Amino acid sequence: MGDIRPQDISKPSEQLVKVENLMPLPAPYDKPGMEPDFKEIKDSWKEDYCASLDGFVGNEALVRPKTKEEEEALVKGFLRGLEKLFSDETNRNYLQPFLLSFEYCAKCNTCSEACHVFKASGEQEIYRPIFRSEVLRKIAKKHFNGDSFWSKFTGGDIDINAETILRLGELAYRCNLCRRCAQTCPLGLDNGLLAREIRKLFSMELGIAPKPLHEKGTMLQLKTGSSTGITKDAFLDMIEFLEEDIYERTGKKYKIPVDKKGADILLTHNAGEYMAWPENPAAFVILFEEAGLDWTLSSDMIGYDNVNYGLFYDDAQTRKIGLAQLKAAKELGVRRIVVGECGHAHKAAMVSIDRAMVGEDNIPRESFLPLLADLIKKGVYKLDPSRNDFPVTMHDPCNVARMMGVIQPQRDIIKAVAPQFREMYPHGAKNFCCGGGSGFAIMKSFNFPEFRNKISSRMKFKQILEAFQGVMEEDIPKYVAAPCSNCKGAIRDILEYYQATAKFNVHYGGLVELVVNAMVQFDRPFLEFLDEEEFVAKHVKK
Amino acid sequence: MLLTVFVYVSILAFIGLSLYKAYQYAKMPMHGRWELYPVPKEPGGKGHYGGSYYEDLEWWNKPREVSHAGEIIDMLKEMLFIKNLFINQRRQWWLSYALHLGIYLLGLWTVLLAVGAITELSGLTLSTPEGVSNNAWASLVYYATFISGGAGALLLGFGSLSLFLKRCFNNTFAKYTTPQEYFNLFFLFAVVASGMVVWSADPGFNYGREIMKALFTFSPIQADTALTIHILLLGAVMIYIPQTKMSHYVGKYFAFHKVLWDNEPNLRNSKMESIVKEAISYKPKASWSAPHINPAAQQEKK
Repeated sequence: MGDIRPQDISKPSEQLVKVENLMPLPAPYDKPGMEPDFKEIKDSWKEDYCASLDGFVGNEALVRPKTKEEEEALVKGFLRGLEKLFSDETNRNYLQPFLLSFEYCAKCNTCSEACHVFKASGEQEIYRPIFRSEVLRKIAKKHFNGDSFWSKFTGGDIDINAETILRLGELAYRCNLCRRCAQTCPLGLDNGLLAREIRKLFSMELGIAPKPLHEKGTMLQLKTGSSTGITKDAFLDMIEFLEEDIYERTGKKYKIPVDKKGADILLTHNAGEYMAWPENPAAFVILFEEAGLDWTLSSDMIGYDNVNYGLFYDDAQTRKIGLAQLKAAKELGVRRIVVGECGHAHKAAMVSIDRAMVGEDNIPRESFLPLLADLIKKGVYKLDPSRNDFPVTMHDPCNVARMMGVIQPQRDIIKAVAPQFREMYPHGAKNFCCGGGSGFAIMKSFNFPEFRNKISSRMKFKQILEAFQGVMEEDIPKYVAAPCSNCKGAIRDILEYYQATAKFNVHYGGLVELVVNAMVQFDRPFLEFLDEEEFVAKHVKK
Repeated sequence: MLLTVFVYVSILAFIGLSLYKAYQYAKMPMHGRWELYPVPKEPGGKGHYGGSYYEDLEWWNKPREVSHAGEIIDMLKEMLFIKNLFINQRRQWWLSYALHLGIYLLGLWTVLLAVGAITELSGLTLSTPEGVSNNAWASLVYYATFISGGAGALLLGFGSLSLFLKRCFNNTFAKYTTPQEYFNLFFLFAVVASGMVVWSADPGFNYGREIMKALFTFSPIQADTALTIHILLLGAVMIYIPQTKMSHYVGKYFAFHKVLWDNEPNLRNSKMESIVKEAISYKPKASWSAPHINPAAQQEKK
């Protein structure tokens, strides 16, 4: 199908669009053969799921109806949910922002230029921020006004069938909810919000949401306390392992405080860090212990894992998890919660559930960034920035920067420890999403990782390449600091996918690891990709 | 006399329906925080680069500082110059700003017509068949009315027509434009075009001051066919605008002030805390149906 219009989403076709002609990448990825091609989609996926939008399947819970009755039930359920989006009984928490964005769009298309997915896809029409919103508007106008003249006059010219609903369900997961588009809207409207409202409708009315977010995400977390499903005993083993790991890395023994009643700080991490990047919680242990902070971790699972995937798709799950996390902190009697390197946990804990509790339940929460910046400023750590004397760039997690306004502390930190720091452009509040935002980093079903690596993360990869222009092809280590677990996961995947680590020595990690690597008290590098002998010769035995 | 009544009704409808729209948004339940940085009311440089109080260590122990000046300046930039469009889509800005500046100037023109009418009712004539009055005040009002009305009409006419044509011939715009959106732009153009027909016969806008005088004295408006059509169209558009998304002068206030720039934290013993307390005590009368929210609904379905 050629020139796609919003109402075409309801027309039957094997695949509404085929994504081709992606945004070019800068050198050295401007040559042919530098990136893998899209793989062919399997026929079985087409039969069972919705591959008819763009050939990607991101939502494995969105199963294609097999009978007419199932199709009718899907449409009926969707429309029932749609009515609830407009109700001040069922959508109390977002009714005002939703109606404003629904009602006032002038279709000026200013948002399109701000969208990394739209631009990276070679300006694929269905990824234009207003495309999805306009489909929702058309469905609502048709549903509320029927086939009347007024309905058609106001844009209700769409067929509401199972294909429409299925494709819209997939399309809601082609937006990272980074809200960069909303920053540019002359009317202050938010297509990211509308994408999330569509996800919410599917989840809260139909129980349809990608399994990594819902079944293996929030549902598992509400059952076991953590989306990793880890038990308390396993967690305590992990802490023991972490203590040994730190000793091996640094030669110094640290005792990690767990369940310390009445501690000043409860430090929370994305539990995925303990599994995938233990050096990150290890670095926090070193920094907090060396600063002599009165802190603790919680062995109550909901108190140690700060993830809240509800943020991405479901108000009820967000609230349940957020309140349970605060309850765990309250029971521990801590004065404040400090959130570690996880972007969405920052927003969930500090912003999203801020208006969900009062009084003693409202434990103060803050980011680790101002705390660490303050400790460095006070000279608590002896740091030698030359230990990080390689090109470093930094990614601003959207949830930390654009949605919370934490921009400067991470710059104060990185400038104190990385002499070759260079910004990505744009950065700070105007940054581009890593492409893993809103759950994409953990959605790995079918061919969805291809969409992420080649399209939604493409702009970030371009920014990384541009930040390292001039040194990219030199055989020196280069480091992308991403103080967020999901962003780190997305960056890990693009570096692997494009073989940037293997070919060009580009590495990634958190911010705290860089700080620990600069601490003069240790006689070996904390960052594993650094050559230990060279490091020791240069920084320890001089 | 019917025309006089119609003009009164259309003015009251415009104000009343706009206020009602604002009231509808204002009375909606407290929503969750959905701010977006930069938030211009953040003090110091923060409002500019996108920082917030979350950058401060133990932010909840610090006095809450809000830069009202920063917020007002940014609001005025957006209201008067459509800053976001200017920065992010300059080509569209030229057309859109022409339309909006035209409306602002016509707003000023309306005020000046009223001032002129009051001046004339007070016994000082602005112009006679021989020319414009020599009185400084009268000539100031006369020429300011002439310039604002003329420029406003031309800009609004150009803006509405060019936006209409762009939506017709630019494929990207055309595919997202509904029949109502074409109609809205055409309606605005029709109003200004009919006004230009009337204006061409009376370049000094004396007819406008006569209408104002009729409104102030509640007396019949003397209108020929062209003026009658113009008054009917102008009145109709004033009744129509608040009922459509052209009422974004209302929506924009809420979108920025009550959503994107509302980062008021829920601190203990604060005013916000009492608002939150009241909001969370509400028990909704309906619920969503997914199994993880309402298992009973699933049982009923079975």
